[in-house]
Amino acid sequence: MSYLSTLYLPGAVALWCALAFAVTAIWGYARALGGDPAALRFGRNAYRFFALAIALVTAILFLCLYLRDYRIEYVYQYSGNDLSTFFQLAAFWAGQKGSFLIWLFFGAMLGLPLVRAAGRDEAPVMTVFLFTQLGLLLILVRENPFIMLPQTPLDGAGMNPLLQDYWMTIHPPVMFIGYAATAIPFAFAMAALWRRDYGNWAARAFPWALFAFLVLGAAILLGGYWAYKTLGWGGYWGWDPVENASLIPWLLTTVLIHGLYLERARGRFRRATVVLSSLAYLSVLYGTFLTRSGVLADFSVHSFVDLGISGWLIALMLFFLGGSAWLVATRIREIPSAPSEDPLLSRGTFVVLGTITLLASALVVTLGTSAPILTRFLENPGQVGPAFYNRVNLPLALLTAFLVALVPFLTWRGAASWGELLGKARWGLVAAAAVAVLAAILGVHDPFHLLLVLFASAAVATNLTAVIGLARRGGLKSAGGYLAHVGVGVILLGFLASSAYDESVKVTLERGRPTAVGDLTLTFQRFVPRTATQKERMEVEVVRPGGSRYLAYPSLFVNDRSRQLMAHPDIRSFAFHDLYLSPLEYDPGERGGRLLLAKDQSATRGGIEVRFLGFDLEAGGHGTTPAASGPMSVGAVLEITRDGRSERLTPIYRFSPGGEVEFPPVAIPGGGRVALAGIDAESGAVELLFEGLPDLPGSPAKLALDVTRKPLIQLVWGGLYLIFFGGALAAWQRYRQALRHDATAAGTR
Amino acid sequence: MNRRRVAYLAGAGLLLAFAAFSLTSFRSALTPYVSYAEAREQSRTVQVAGGLAKASSRYDEATSSLLFTLVDPGTQQTLRVRYHGVKPANFEDAISIVAIGSYDRAADEFAAGKLLVKCPSKYQGAEVKTYS
Repeated sequence: MSYLSTLYLPGAVALWCALAFAVTAIWGYARALGGDPAALRFGRNAYRFFALAIALVTAILFLCLYLRDYRIEYVYQYSGNDLSTFFQLAAFWAGQKGSFLIWLFFGAMLGLPLVRAAGRDEAPVMTVFLFTQLGLLLILVRENPFIMLPQTPLDGAGMNPLLQDYWMTIHPPVMFIGYAATAIPFAFAMAALWRRDYGNWAARAFPWALFAFLVLGAAILLGGYWAYKTLGWGGYWGWDPVENASLIPWLLTTVLIHGLYLERARGRFRRATVVLSSLAYLSVLYGTFLTRSGVLADFSVHSFVDLGISGWLIALMLFFLGGSAWLVATRIREIPSAPSEDPLLSRGTFVVLGTITLLASALVVTLGTSAPILTRFLENPGQVGPAFYNRVNLPLALLTAFLVALVPFLTWRGAASWGELLGKARWGLVAAAAVAVLAAILGVHDPFHLLLVLFASAAVATNLTAVIGLARRGGLKSAGGYLAHVGVGVILLGFLASSAYDESVKVTLERGRPTAVGDLTLTFQRFVPRTATQKERMEVEVVRPGGSRYLAYPSLFVNDRSRQLMAHPDIRSFAFHDLYLSPLEYDPGERGGRLLLAKDQSATRGGIEVRFLGFDLEAGGHGTTPAASGPMSVGAVLEITRDGRSERLTPIYRFSPGGEVEFPPVAIPGGGRVALAGIDAESGAVELLFEGLPDLPGSPAKLALDVTRKPLIQLVWGGLYLIFFGGALAAWQRYRQALRHDATAAGTR
Repeated sequence: MNRRRVAYLAGAGLLLAFAAFSLTSFRSALTPYVSYAEAREQSRTVQVAGGLAKASSRYDEATSSLLFTLVDPGTQQTLRVRYHGVKPANFEDAISIVAIGSYDRAADEFAAGKLLVKCPSKYQGAEVKTYS
């Protein structure tokens, strides 16, 4: 079989066309760089065709998924008949090839407005940007997502059950928009170096950098929320390499936007912003290399597969590292920088210190994540755990909160003395001190933690004052930075409270017996069988101090397809904490009331004699024809003798094709109930379940639970929202400034 | 020396101190991969890997922990592991389990604080979770 015949041609041809258009566009833009004005339009049109072709490739893969075309290996591997249309389409990014394609798709689409936004720098910006796209495109051409199987399977291999969650399906595409967006400031910076025009790029790149910052932040929020809500280990962040691979670009983009802020406001930091733009983009490539090449396979729970693209990813990294390093090295000395220095106690100095702090954080996270590579050549390679990250980031968080708290009172010209600065900040500091005293009373005794509470509360208070002050003067639209800094204070408080002060207890609850857990009383009420819309759940009554009660439904079930045991926590939010109930183990118990009987066999239980006479296929009124799509039922005819009197009872066992099973108990005259709990098809025996009879031996059902109180976790989500809204406000402002900048630049030309 | 000079020196000193702090934290937090025999000999935090011995896992209610036995696929040596925490979703199907923790000589078992579970190839490419 030739290579061509193994490919789904509509998709593959569209992919090759995209490659051809990308190369043509680079050629056109490169000619325009060389001074051929006609080539600019040519390159631009070729780019549009490239974007169209990528959109087509994406649409074709979506269509193949929608049609469940299992001829295509990728569709077969990641989707299946049991998935709803929504998850079936989301299987697009369940695997590596689709992930690269969706990344490329967002890049190609973002490039369309970029063509206009780049203005005079269109040719160099688009050339660099196209190279970043070409790298992904080459990987996809090699690892073609349209490879076909020799035969067409009837069903796909299915999607990982953990991914079948709405948060998890939106998280990856948002992340890839962010990844794609980091290439844009990079392209602007490299273009500026190439053209030796250092005065204009920052204004144009600023809104794009903010956009990347926003989207990456949103993606991290979605991922964290998913981990918290569905995984049941009780956290939102585990410092896993995959998580770090998204955090490092976000931190570096945060550093970059502060650098761009300084450059725009003061004309300082001009050399640094160029380097930071490349670092942010290179960190995306490095993270991709770490998580997609299989180098961390033994060190992460995220199952990495080596697609055989490690070499490509390394080549891609080296290409952009080498290219940007060469441009920076040859031109950095030419970049004019403001000769005057800011006074020590000024906004400029504090922002610089803040960026250095965040840069240090990005570096130590990179160091930790790279541990398996760095120690690869030692006798016993190793990795570092969450303790390392928490430890080294604590002093950085303290410093960040301190700087953020004082920034609103600092001007560019600077304060004369610390006394003057602290005097301006006094009300915020008083409020923060009150919060710290409260925290100490509530049980925070670690001095570093108390210091963090003090600084973070001060950051909230002072920045909130600044936001309100601006709003009064009608300048709310320029309050984005302060608003985001309120969020920084809030989120640091949330991190500290929810991770260092959570209380977790593991308990085993006997069915029906109230058990005290701290100040709560928990009772495992019953096991709730699977229904059409809900998996198997455990009903647990929670009585809180003060007497208010609610029913919690943690879920523990076996995924039908993968046979994995899945646990879903029950989370209930209160004003100051979340109660997080995560199931550990369910033991249905030794039911003495359980009895296995073959036909015509009899036994005695709880003072009654039971004989199994035979099956009644008509009982329940449904019939057992396998073709029937509704529920089917079987009845077991029993003769029950108590005190010399005999009765006939027919409990039924009902099951639907959807896997739902019901066995309603039937009342026994004189007390007690009996149900038909199961049928052994081989021996023809029935399993009977008795309830409410005296003297039944056995042990009750048990549920092992992890009960966690997560204090103030709402602050984590709330802080992220504030950072997000503040960032969005700033992005809008900078976008309008970029438009104005271009208008004046065009006027003076 | 003027004030600015002092500030620069202080800043450089702080950066150096932080770098030293990070590196020492890094070295002490590093958990190397070791064999079962090496794990038994030391008390520091290490990681061991292996397959799950058939039908060896059970949940111990009294101590709220998961007990299981790891088998080294190469040497067929075994190691008993105790893990306090939520049983990972795909635990029984795991092709390989990495346990991070330290050896508990008194109980003669490996006390794991964290498990990394690798599922069969069918579900590779999908992202699983952190159990800590």
